[in-house]
Amino acid sequence: MSTVCATFSRRTPLVEKGPYRITAEGLQGLGLAVKNLDVTVGRLAMEVDFEKAGPTPKPSMTTLRDWDMKLLSRYKPFYSPFCDQCCLCTYGKCDLTRGKKGACGIEIHTQQARTVLLTCIIGAATHTAHARHLVDHLMEKYGRNHAIALGYEVNVEMPHARTVVGIKPRTLADLEYICGYVEEQLTHCLSAVHTGQEGNHLDFESKALHAGMLDHVAMEAADMAQIVTYNFPKGDADAPLTQIGTGVLDLSKPVILSIGHNVADSVEILDYMEKHELGQPGELVEVAGLCCTALDMTRYHEEAKIIGPMSHELRFIRSGMADVLVLDEQCINTGALAEAQRVRTPVLAVSEKACYGLPDFTERKVEEIVDALATYSIPGALVLDPEKVGAVAPLVALRTASARNKYKVIPDSSSLKRLAESCTNCGMCRRDCPINLPVSEAVYAAKTGDLTKLAQIYGLCIGCARCENECPYSIPVHSLIVGAAENKFRTEKYRLRVGRGPILDTEIREVGQPIVFGEIPGVVAYVGCSNYPNGGVEVAKMAEIFLKRRYIVLTSGCSAMSIAEYQTENGTSLYEEYPGGFEAGGLVNVGSCVANSHITGACMKIANIYARRPLRGNYEEIADYTLMRIGACGVAWGAMSQKAASIATGCNRLGIPVILGPQGSKYRRLYLGRRDDVKSYDVIDARSGEKSPAVAQPEHLIYAAESMEEALVLTSKLCIRPADTTKGRMIKLTHYVDLSKKTYGCLPEDLPFHIRTEADIPITFKDEIIGFLKEKNWRPSEKPSIDPTLLPRLVYGR
Amino acid sequence: MAPKGEVVGRLMKAAKRPLIVVGAKILEEELDGKSLLSYVVELSKCGGIPVVATAHTPKPLFESGLQSAASMGMVEITDRLRDRNWSLDGKGPHDLAIFVGITYQLQSQMLSTLKHFATHLKTVSLDRYYHPNADFSFPNLDEKTWIQNLDMVVGTLKSKSQ
Repeated sequence: MSTVCATFSRRTPLVEKGPYRITAEGLQGLGLAVKNLDVTVGRLAMEVDFEKAGPTPKPSMTTLRDWDMKLLSRYKPFYSPFCDQCCLCTYGKCDLTRGKKGACGIEIHTQQARTVLLTCIIGAATHTAHARHLVDHLMEKYGRNHAIALGYEVNVEMPHARTVVGIKPRTLADLEYICGYVEEQLTHCLSAVHTGQEGNHLDFESKALHAGMLDHVAMEAADMAQIVTYNFPKGDADAPLTQIGTGVLDLSKPVILSIGHNVADSVEILDYMEKHELGQPGELVEVAGLCCTALDMTRYHEEAKIIGPMSHELRFIRSGMADVLVLDEQCINTGALAEAQRVRTPVLAVSEKACYGLPDFTERKVEEIVDALATYSIPGALVLDPEKVGAVAPLVALRTASARNKYKVIPDSSSLKRLAESCTNCGMCRRDCPINLPVSEAVYAAKTGDLTKLAQIYGLCIGCARCENECPYSIPVHSLIVGAAENKFRTEKYRLRVGRGPILDTEIREVGQPIVFGEIPGVVAYVGCSNYPNGGVEVAKMAEIFLKRRYIVLTSGCSAMSIAEYQTENGTSLYEEYPGGFEAGGLVNVGSCVANSHITGACMKIANIYARRPLRGNYEEIADYTLMRIGACGVAWGAMSQKAASIATGCNRLGIPVILGPQGSKYRRLYLGRRDDVKSYDVIDARSGEKSPAVAQPEHLIYAAESMEEALVLTSKLCIRPADTTKGRMIKLTHYVDLSKKTYGCLPEDLPFHIRTEADIPITFKDEIIGFLKEKNWRPSEKPSIDPTLLPRLVYGR
Repeated sequence: MAPKGEVVGRLMKAAKRPLIVVGAKILEEELDGKSLLSYVVELSKCGGIPVVATAHTPKPLFESGLQSAASMGMVEITDRLRDRNWSLDGKGPHDLAIFVGITYQLQSQMLSTLKHFATHLKTVSLDRYYHPNADFSFPNLDEKTWIQNLDMVVGTLKSKSQ
């Protein structure tokens, strides 16, 4: 044992290079005498044989740089500057147009990559801070040793933690360790943005990919913390159906509204009500939420109500229906406090990250806070104690509800006409609308009492109210839109399946092979915010099309809510028509924003459970497997936030392509392949070590589509993978060709790239395709690889 | 000073290798009973200018009697256009790209890409709202003035072909 002891020199990075475990029944020497010695050193040292240790546990910013460069040589960054200048330091502002360099030497494309990195860090840091708050709060409440246990159907509990951090988390304290690693890495990434640090656009991109990967690790930690402590569904395919829409509220009762993403305070509200005989949500007091915190409230208590996605925020606050407003964190309309004041809704800010200038009442007594809010001596209070918030919110709602009835009004048709009177149809509102809705024409028509155009806009409006800011006559345009659709606003009522959390290992065992073989044609995830180009209905329609085609469809966050707001021909929601399992034709709502980690986690689990690739510290191989074999595609049709950017970038590093809506071009950077540069897609055949073509499979890594129709065709195409079996490729091409013909009226131009041999040709279109291939002088591929990789080290025998 | 529509028409006439890029909005915009799509067909035919159909426009263009020279996404054609070695027919780079019927924000971003990374190329937007990233754009127009300008572009092109 003395030789083991010799490894403990001060220069040995024990935590990084563990495990170091020393056991001895008896040890003597150096003046020491010890019995039954058992020492482990460092957190990684606690990982005992859950899997063989891989090459990259806890990767630094450059550990996976080679992998990133492989991706970036296939999918080259495409930049669309949103701003022509850099104004980050006192040298500036520097004009970077037409090849000019900034005073620090930076060029426009490098500046774009730098901004993308910053965006991804903001997104990842937001989830990490969310995770950190939850973990700290829950450790305090449930203890550091609270177990990470998801039941007998989930052994691979946290695939991101295993793959990236290299640990198998067992307790909440392990989640704290994970947060620590991510926080450290994000600090390094942020430092690279400083003037005079990183100077190459590809290295900025590599760091952005790193931040994106870290984001998924943090999201997983956040969601796992709440799943295991709050007893959220643990991969339950039959999670209950819950209610969504303004119409689900009984407005004769006081209404508590929570907005944001962090459910800790809302849980305390629900617990307080139960403990103090205020009944279930909806009995004496309505408890509702907007955005992801609403989704998580229903994971805790299915009787909590969801109002809708972020786009519904302003309209609901303005309606005055909320008797108290709880602002937790993320995706809060920054004008929420001012809007709430107009309708006399008291506000509780509950996060250090979003204090809204309110006085800190954390240390005050509950009664004192309630009095101050209910008497409007203050417009709102900052209360950084979830348990106190749990008591204050219902008590304030009960005190204020009846007196507030006069504020629960929506403008009627005569007042709408009056409000629109000053409109000159100048068009400023339309031009300033982020999605260019015909607002001006609609308001102008309202002058004559024609509200139909305004009502049509209601379902498309993203709820930002920029139109109002731009109006030279201060017309409350957003209120007009909601007023014109008052009946719909008051009565809309839908069904949504509660977020189920992770995908079960048992489900992966069932579908791993058909996904990898291509017999299930793809796994499509509709995720992200509600900045839709044509309303949330497009997300639902796309999901429905792929459900009918027996793809696995996953969803989360605002997209999950938008899918619920669509009614099929049968008058029901897609959640009522399709099963909630991870199976062909299944519609899987994983939950809130942080639950997105389960979608990428499912891909990791396929590599691990089906293909037996070890996860532990083995990110590069898992990403390579995903890119080559798992036909997954993300669609963030209304992506708005920095979080959405980092989530998408994390998907990209893992080899999952993402399609954005047209607004996504404002993220400044896409990763585009060039199918006319066929060599750029070459792969290595792992059996022979030789190069093999894999043109346009998948073609792009992140792409902004202009229309839903374009996105539909592209989604089916981006599910094609180099390793598809013949049968699988034939099935995938059947969908790609069918959707192309329906959309474009012809066979896709790039079809010859995807047909390796005649056996790949879809039977349904065989004659037509054979004729087409002849026209294009198509020849069968000489060396199609059935075992493709981008990693030379994975070639057999090396 | 010549009206804007006439200036655009002259630019298009003077270009040696122009192309028109059309987006999904050509299927939505109705201008006093005439679709924006009809304008595109007319412009292409009277100017002999090839059309790149993006989004889901190839089918309706074809049904309107215009076979597009290529069908690809808006970001894909923008990516190609910044490459000096690329062209629709392989006969040298394009010198003028005319954008029409494209979602405003997407078009703005694509024009920004070309402004910075395709200095060999001039860009024109025929849409109704001002695009500062284009080399030439109409100012913000009401519908009536927009129609007048589009008619003027077509008229100027026709005057050449006659």
